[in-house]
Amino acid sequence: MTSVQRQRASSAAQAALLRVDDLAKSYGGVHAVAGVSFDVPRGRITGLIGPNGAGKSTALAMVAGAIKPSRGSVLLNGTNVAGWPSHKIARRGLARTFQQSSDFSGMTVTENLLTAPYGQRGDTLRGALLGRRYWRAEQESLTARAADLIERFDMARMANEFAGTLSGGQRRLLEIMRALMTEPEILLLDEAMAGVNPALGARIEDYLLQLRQDGLTMLMVEHEMSVVERLCDPVIVMAQGEVLAEGTMDQIRSDHRVLDAYLNG
Amino acid sequence: MSLAWSFYIATVLVYLGVDLMACWGLNLQYGYTGIVNFSFIIYQAAGAYTAAVLTLGPQTAGSFQQYVGGANLPFPLPVIAGGIAGGLLSAVVGVIALRRLRSDYQAMVFLVISLIATAVVTSDVGLFNGPAGLSLIPQPMSTALNLSLVGYRWFYVGLTAVICLIVYAFVWRITSAPLGRSLRAVRDHEQGAAALGKNVTGLRMTSFVVGGVIAGISGAVLVEFISAWSPGAWLYQETFVLFAAVIVGGTANNAGVALGALLVPVAFLEGSRFLPQFGPPGLIDALQWVAVGLMTLVFLWFWPRGVLPERRRIIQLPGQQQARTGLQRPVDYEKTAETR
Repeated sequence: MTSVQRQRASSAAQAALLRVDDLAKSYGGVHAVAGVSFDVPRGRITGLIGPNGAGKSTALAMVAGAIKPSRGSVLLNGTNVAGWPSHKIARRGLARTFQQSSDFSGMTVTENLLTAPYGQRGDTLRGALLGRRYWRAEQESLTARAADLIERFDMARMANEFAGTLSGGQRRLLEIMRALMTEPEILLLDEAMAGVNPALGARIEDYLLQLRQDGLTMLMVEHEMSVVERLCDPVIVMAQGEVLAEGTMDQIRSDHRVLDAYLNG
Repeated sequence: MSLAWSFYIATVLVYLGVDLMACWGLNLQYGYTGIVNFSFIIYQAAGAYTAAVLTLGPQTAGSFQQYVGGANLPFPLPVIAGGIAGGLLSAVVGVIALRRLRSDYQAMVFLVISLIATAVVTSDVGLFNGPAGLSLIPQPMSTALNLSLVGYRWFYVGLTAVICLIVYAFVWRITSAPLGRSLRAVRDHEQGAAALGKNVTGLRMTSFVVGGVIAGISGAVLVEFISAWSPGAWLYQETFVLFAAVIVGGTANNAGVALGALLVPVAFLEGSRFLPQFGPPGLIDALQWVAVGLMTLVFLWFWPRGVLPERRRIIQLPGQQQARTGLQRPVDYEKTAETR
């Protein structure tokens, strides 16, 4: 390796907020994910695409701690978090949304947002028993933060509705807002546009672009190619549990292995 | 009012107080956190037993009943110890049942634990005196006060009311705090809560153990009143009466649950005493269980949110005008929690 190459490699490592190395999950003899490696660069939206059953969601779930990997490492800001429970990974600044929406349906939109930040004063038994005076000031500042998000995402009308009464698209939006309440460093989106009407889908796209401008790093699994094209750079293609290709959308499109995977997958 | 009625009403009021506490404890576990605790009654029984032996005094040789750890503690201490016993037992059970298992499997584990506990306590006479249990438990402060039989009953009603208020304040602090919200988040979407950094198992344990403490306290209050404890009085069916009360009243609504405690164990079960006897002996008792089961089913089917459903907690956001929704008006954040 020349010194220039070495320099490039080390700056790439610094730029990568999340570095996945040889991550694998097998169920018995079935390899859902057969050792994937990729980097998620800081401040960009990385797309994770591939035909059904490629292992995208499993990979995402392993990164977030919802599924324990069989082997491999997940470096989040340099710390290997592979195999950690999801709440510990979340506390390291990783937020996510789910393929099936995960709203707290018996709570209002505002409450969903207020619940999100970790480590609130009134969120322990001791804090709760100490009473309102102990945690009220913090709640007021969180309420202000929630109000800003609600305004930014144009959800004021729904602020005090039960999350369970929202439409599918509004739930997606709520999940993203809830994740943002935790002030994450990286946001994992698992098919954020699935089942969303086109108008709301366009709005979600706009929001994601704004968030990218604000410097938020994102990793998104997405089926809608036009969305990936508009939002994602780089794009990682998975098929049959492996990373097939990686690059810009243009590079990916001209890769015959990718075409084969999609046509045969 | 005749003395007999006065005696009866005071007794029913103490039972109501015990059921209120138990229902608030179960509601914290089931209504707020989604833990289907079919073993609730055993923590109540453990609290009751502990309070009983700590009131009975040290065991004397040749006594007609045997028990473990007898002592003679003054009044509030046996009740507090009962709460601790309920909490400790639920911590042990919680460590086994609350990790890794899905909530439907947890429910099965809890039911089985309840059945095992009854079988063990009833069969092993050396342990807790078998089916005979304990009797002649002195009533707190009865000798010092020197009240009439009925007068003491009414004194105990007051005592129960005070303990009820303390328990309610305790539960209210939890459910109105951010902790209460986190518990409901765990109930509504476990993985979603974990993805926000919530320690789901820890939150479940907290709710489960606090519920166990409340169960223990309620059992202790009951046993000090009725002066007797036997395993046959703490069977798994009793848990279902409490579940019926919580479901009928309204899960995750402390006021609704209080209404449920009034309607199911008190109004319904006590009310059926006044029915004319018919059929073979024991038929009405058996029909009571059938009715409680049917009531639960009917509510789960038609009114799953109960008579007083979980309320919507309206939070006024700074700088925004919100439309009034129904009867609920927006209020300041600090005034929101637990107001209807």
